[in-house]
Amino acid sequence: MNVETKQARKNTVAGRMSNESFLTLFMIGVLVVLFGIACAIVPNFFLPQNMLNLITNNWFIIILGIGVTFLLITGNFDMSVGGVIALTGVLSVYFCQGANVSQNALANGLGLPYGLAIALALLCAMGIGAINAFFIARLKVPSIIVTLGTMMLARGIAQVITRGAQRNTSLPDVFGVVGNIAIQGTSIKISVVIMVVLVSAAFIFERMTVSGRRTYLIGANAEAARLSGITVGRHLTFLYLISALLAGITGILLASEFKAGVSSRAMGYEFDALVVSLLGGVSIAGGFGSVLGMFVGAVILSVVTTSATGLLLSPDWQFTLKGIVTFIAILAQRFALDRRKG
Amino acid sequence: MKLTDNVLEIRDLVKDFPSVRAVNNVSFDIKRNTVHCLVGENGAGKSTLIKILTGAYARSSGKILLNGEEYSPHSPKNAKEKGISTLFQELNVVDQLTVEENLTLGMEDTTFGFLRKTDKINKMVSVMNSLEPSIRPRQLVSTLSVAKKQIVEIAKAVATESDIIIMDEPTAAISESEIARLFKIVKGLREKNVTVIYISHRLDEIFELGDYVTVMRDGKHIDTKPVSEIQDRSELIRMMIGKTVFEAYTPKKDPSREIILQVRNLSNHKLNDISFEVKKGEIVGFYGLVGAGKTELARAIYGVDEYEGEILFKGEKLHPSPHKVIEAGIALVPEERRSQGLFTILTIRGNVPVMNMGKVSRNGFINASQERKVTLEYIEKLRIATSSTEKEVIKLSGGNQQKVVFSKCLFADADLLMLDEPTRGIDVGAKSEIYGIIRRLSQEGKSILIFSSELPEIMNICDSIYLLYDGNLKAALQNGYDIDSEKIIHIVTGGE
Amino acid sequence: MNAKGAKEESIQTQLERSQAVRANIKRFYIYFVLALIVIIFSVAKLGQVEMFGRGHFLSPASVINLLRTAVPIMTLSGAFTLLMISGYIDLSVGSAMSLNAVVFALMILNGFPFLPALVITLILGIAMGALNGLLVMKLRITPVIATLVTLSLFKGIALLIVPDGLSAIKGSAEKVMPPWINDYARKNVLLGMPWAFFVALAVIAILVILQRKTILGKYAAAMGGNRTAAELSGINVVKMGWLLYIIVGFFAVLAGVARASYMSLGDPLSGDGMELDNIIAVLLGGTAFSGGEGSVAKTIIGALIIMCVTTGLMTVIPAYWQTVAKGSVLLFAVVLNHLLIREKVKA
Repeated sequence: MNVETKQARKNTVAGRMSNESFLTLFMIGVLVVLFGIACAIVPNFFLPQNMLNLITNNWFIIILGIGVTFLLITGNFDMSVGGVIALTGVLSVYFCQGANVSQNALANGLGLPYGLAIALALLCAMGIGAINAFFIARLKVPSIIVTLGTMMLARGIAQVITRGAQRNTSLPDVFGVVGNIAIQGTSIKISVVIMVVLVSAAFIFERMTVSGRRTYLIGANAEAARLSGITVGRHLTFLYLISALLAGITGILLASEFKAGVSSRAMGYEFDALVVSLLGGVSIAGGFGSVLGMFVGAVILSVVTTSATGLLLSPDWQFTLKGIVTFIAILAQRFALDRRKG
Repeated sequence: MKLTDNVLEIRDLVKDFPSVRAVNNVSFDIKRNTVHCLVGENGAGKSTLIKILTGAYARSSGKILLNGEEYSPHSPKNAKEKGISTLFQELNVVDQLTVEENLTLGMEDTTFGFLRKTDKINKMVSVMNSLEPSIRPRQLVSTLSVAKKQIVEIAKAVATESDIIIMDEPTAAISESEIARLFKIVKGLREKNVTVIYISHRLDEIFELGDYVTVMRDGKHIDTKPVSEIQDRSELIRMMIGKTVFEAYTPKKDPSREIILQVRNLSNHKLNDISFEVKKGEIVGFYGLVGAGKTELARAIYGVDEYEGEILFKGEKLHPSPHKVIEAGIALVPEERRSQGLFTILTIRGNVPVMNMGKVSRNGFINASQERKVTLEYIEKLRIATSSTEKEVIKLSGGNQQKVVFSKCLFADADLLMLDEPTRGIDVGAKSEIYGIIRRLSQEGKSILIFSSELPEIMNICDSIYLLYDGNLKAALQNGYDIDSEKIIHIVTGGE
Repeated sequence: MNAKGAKEESIQTQLERSQAVRANIKRFYIYFVLALIVIIFSVAKLGQVEMFGRGHFLSPASVINLLRTAVPIMTLSGAFTLLMISGYIDLSVGSAMSLNAVVFALMILNGFPFLPALVITLILGIAMGALNGLLVMKLRITPVIATLVTLSLFKGIALLIVPDGLSAIKGSAEKVMPPWINDYARKNVLLGMPWAFFVALAVIAILVILQRKTILGKYAAAMGGNRTAAELSGINVVKMGWLLYIIVGFFAVLAGVARASYMSLGDPLSGDGMELDNIIAVLLGGTAFSGGEGSVAKTIIGALIIMCVTTGLMTVIPAYWQTVAKGSVLLFAVVLNHLLIREKVKA
């Protein structure tokens, strides 16, 4: 064994931080700084309930962010997730509304048992994912355009089923359970727990599974991936189905929480999911990003929006803030990475 | 400005790269209004020289005089402005514009932004017409064949009064009748006050077109002569390969007779009815120069390109998809290591196990320590110069990068390896290490297909040699003491 | 010429002939689609209304209404096409339009005359376009992400300008919106069409000329078609792209002003979805997303198609079918565009 290999063994154990870890740490640093500033200038910021809310407020965006981040790593967008939430929520209501209970058409559904209803709704969500995959993986159409189209398609179907409003009557009692039950003695809803589970699973997926690794390989160099035996089209299809499924789960949880299927639910959520992914350091140039970073990004976004409310800024500041924060994040990340490369 | 006899004078030109001197004190002149050919094998230094002339590379030392004046272009655009235009293999025309629009691109006459029809356009169109009247100025370039697109580029260079047009292997992608037309045009350029630097390995073309020829070998200038003073192909070939002593090839002691790969009547857009067989443990070389079809053959077998014909591997039909081909037991080291072979933003550990993740994972979960172990194994085995498995591949030298690609393919546990230009751009030390690896693999019973345009490489290690020219398998030879390198060059440059 | 040469020549002619057929399809399909849509909506309600009578799709009142509502997209989609031809995209046009509408309405509400208000808004719009150009061309941020960021920014600013509690800049008991604000986009000037319509026609004419007869159009196509070739020919791609973004910003102002005038108010959400409409129009018109090809004229026809679909659908189906209809139209346009452009990929 030559000197270099001995050195290689040593350095492997010591481990050199990957660029993703570097950026995630960087954004955690940013979070800490912002948090500090917030505590300083925002009255009543540092309250335990506020702290908890930072993470629980955004649970639905975080779940969406999982799928969006993975797709961004491969260089693709998914803007259909907001529409899928609306669609799945509405469908879950429609499928299990009592059949023939009322004169009002909006109060009549298919009368299916709750379990079957949500299973079918999730299937429909994945149908949207399949449409995305067909256009993007098969026809190679740019993902931004396709997913904007399927976003309208999904939301549009929800609007048709609810006649532009919502469906919220003749629901079985079990409907409102999963979205509203909380952990014993706390106000933390099950949805938040589900979010934590999903993010953890996603993190394991990204770091430790072959399939997760494949995502990075495709993003880093799709041609080399193909020549290395990876079926790129199949994997992209998989990712779009997962993204749709995650949006579907979110839709069911939200519909259950509000005991209603609202066609205008989740407007703009796809944009927020994109923002938190970008804040988390994902690079659309490909091959780079992490759901952990996305989670940190979501917390950063929470800090910013909560501070804005705390400073008595009107909710209209949301858009401007999100735009500015995203822009600064993109530049800062680029700067930090360039410096690291030397 | 007095027009000198020599349009270009090259004096003691040197170009150094970190591990090799690509251009080694080259000096020669190019006379005005001639067709000046540049020949040499791969690695002879031709392309580097051309890249210096076109401003893509900066020279390390030496002088170039264009029309008697110091010439130092800092970019291809700059070179064009100074009077040297180049016809690359990647055509620089905009398909979506018309012929006329392409001719005038960047040089339009405008009034307040409005395009004006001026004499300039007519002049350019007439230049175009004198070269090839069948091209209509209003037709979209996308409707033209490759050959006609080339002519449009030539017309533009002529009309903008370039002193020199460099043509790099222009006949590689066009048909015979189109070649004849191109030659007529090239010969006519002399009357239009243009000097042509013509690079080609098809020696017949040199004799037909060239006024002068410069031969390069191993980065050095061998000779520059009027074509009329050259006796025949053999003389030219001898200048090209010189007294290269090929490392003695030792035939196998006990070659297997088991056939592992059968290719029958393989044809596609580039290849013509190719058939051959490969035995277990055999090292087969495919030799040919630019445009011969080597990469196309590798890609067809690998399932990346479409083809007609049949390929049997281990007795079973091979499915045309890289995924299935790898599963069957074939791995490819691609031609371009950075854009096709490696994930440059990832680390060595991120690259090596990629083609056989099943071995470092269980139930879909990656075993990171297994990954590291495997990576270290290959770092040791192939002597990759690195201090860590976590080094980003982009930071490695060319030779080490290639070793990573090799590791990746070796880890795939393939029974047959295809290597496309395996030692291109690699220093001598790494080269012989790689040859050692190849020989070892063959001993272990693995078959290797080498696609290369470097003759010493082929002669060095291959048991069988197939010669390719223009998509055709021209000859099959057994390597041995009586192999005639002159005859080989003769065939791959178009001879019969 | 030997036998092989003759065979090559005849293959070449066959190729050219089939290319000619395909070229013709590419030229005329869109008129066919437009005609189809018009016919469909014309016969849709023939059971209930008379042809060209009241309530019919082609009745004078309906046509005038359609064209008046089409003014913003007609004003904007030409410039949008030019940008897409160069290979770039701007997703912020909708919010830019809204912001322009808001600012313009604000000034009118506060006593500015039409022209000065317009000029100031134009300056703002040019600045917004320049910002997009900076992010995309200079800082080299992916166009989609960069313009989504500015979308957010513009929308945010528009929302902040509008006073709390009110949803738009509009007249109220204390401050009355001058009634003449309506004139530009509604008042009959000729054949029942308002000034805004004729301005839109002029804009279309200008953009068609820009695309076909000026160096701007040519360089946009060159950049989008083969960036390397364009740069080698001396084209400054960065400057060109920047200019194109500014031009989009400029026409977004005209669109916004027309919308504000039509609605007599400045609604920060009035431009929502405009970018999607533009994308559909551009796709229907056969512009390649990757750039190089495209036609302002065909995009305008595409815009008419989408307007017909939107307004036509409103007469036959309830409003809540709009979104799914639009989504389907977009996906249909994607397929159509894919079939049209496919041959380019092959070559």
